Amino acid sequence: MRSRDGNSSITRAICSLILLNSFASLNANEFLISYRYIVKDATLYNETLRISDSMKKCVGKPQKALILTSFGDKDLKETISNNSQEFIDYMHKLGLNVEHKESTTNYQNRSTTILTLKTTCFKVDFNDNFARIAPLK
Amino acid sequence: MKYSLILVALLSAASLVAQTPSSPQTIGNLDKIDSLETKVSGINTKVSTVEEKLASIESDMASMRAPKKIVREGEETLSEGADVRISVTGQGVAPMNTTSPAQAYALAKRAATADAYRLIAEKVKGVRIDGQDLIKNMMVKRSTVRTSVKAMVRNANVVETTFKEGLCEVEMEIVLSHAQFAH
Repeated sequence: MRSRDGNSSITRAICSLILLNSFASLNANEFLISYRYIVKDATLYNETLRISDSMKKCVGKPQKALILTSFGDKDLKETISNNSQEFIDYMHKLGLNVEHKESTTNYQNRSTTILTLKTTCFKVDFNDNFARIAPLK
Repeated sequence: MKYSLILVALLSAASLVAQTPSSPQTIGNLDKIDSLETKVSGINTKVSTVEEKLASIESDMASMRAPKKIVREGEETLSEGADVRISVTGQGVAPMNTTSPAQAYALAKRAATADAYRLIAEKVKGVRIDGQDLIKNMMVKRSTVRTSVKAMVRNANVVETTFKEGLCEVEMEIVLSHAQFAH
């Protein structure tokens, strides 16, 4: 059946494009990041940085932002690995949970320190030469 | 003349009679008033002393209710409007199986940073300590001391990093202000 609107197919296409765009803008630039490293007996034992796309929209406003050079790549993992030291220093500034346990048995000492950045949602804006990353709180 | 003299004498006698019974009464009243005044003044002084005592008791109660500030000698306190700067030096060493001196430095620095964070947490929040000694046949078999720290550290700054003979030292400081804790 022909609709009153002669350009129904064009209208449908435009609507679907708008819908797709809105869905894409909802989650594409939000990432969940967690970081944890373990130091045992004054030696680094394990370091973990987890990055994943946010499956649902995060709540909060962007806080202190960090600008990382990205050289046009839109992959956050790659951008962070290219600027790992900067990003780790930035996470230290955001605040880390410190958990330290030390045990001395018969004058022999063992210690474990765990530094953790709890899973935080970050908003990331990719540009041509840099990526702007800010935690949402 | 004679009558007039008698009249004057009578009048004076009458006036004397009229005055004599009243005078002891007025003297007695005055005495009573005086004694009452002294009593009232005594009561007033007693009331004032009681009021003074009440005021001192109230001030004592207020001082007891107010939170006590324990200030130890040589210890920095976080007073309003003033900041406290805490500085620590963390130490770390590189693992044995590193592929390059640069990697050794990076890993040692990470370990030293964690140590510095731990030291800040210990200074600001404190340490939990648990000790256990096992004694058998009057001899110490095992002596254990466990310490633990749990804290959240934010806005700590690395001041200086040195790496010498496999040991990395990170000097870190944190500035604490009264406003951060007053909510």
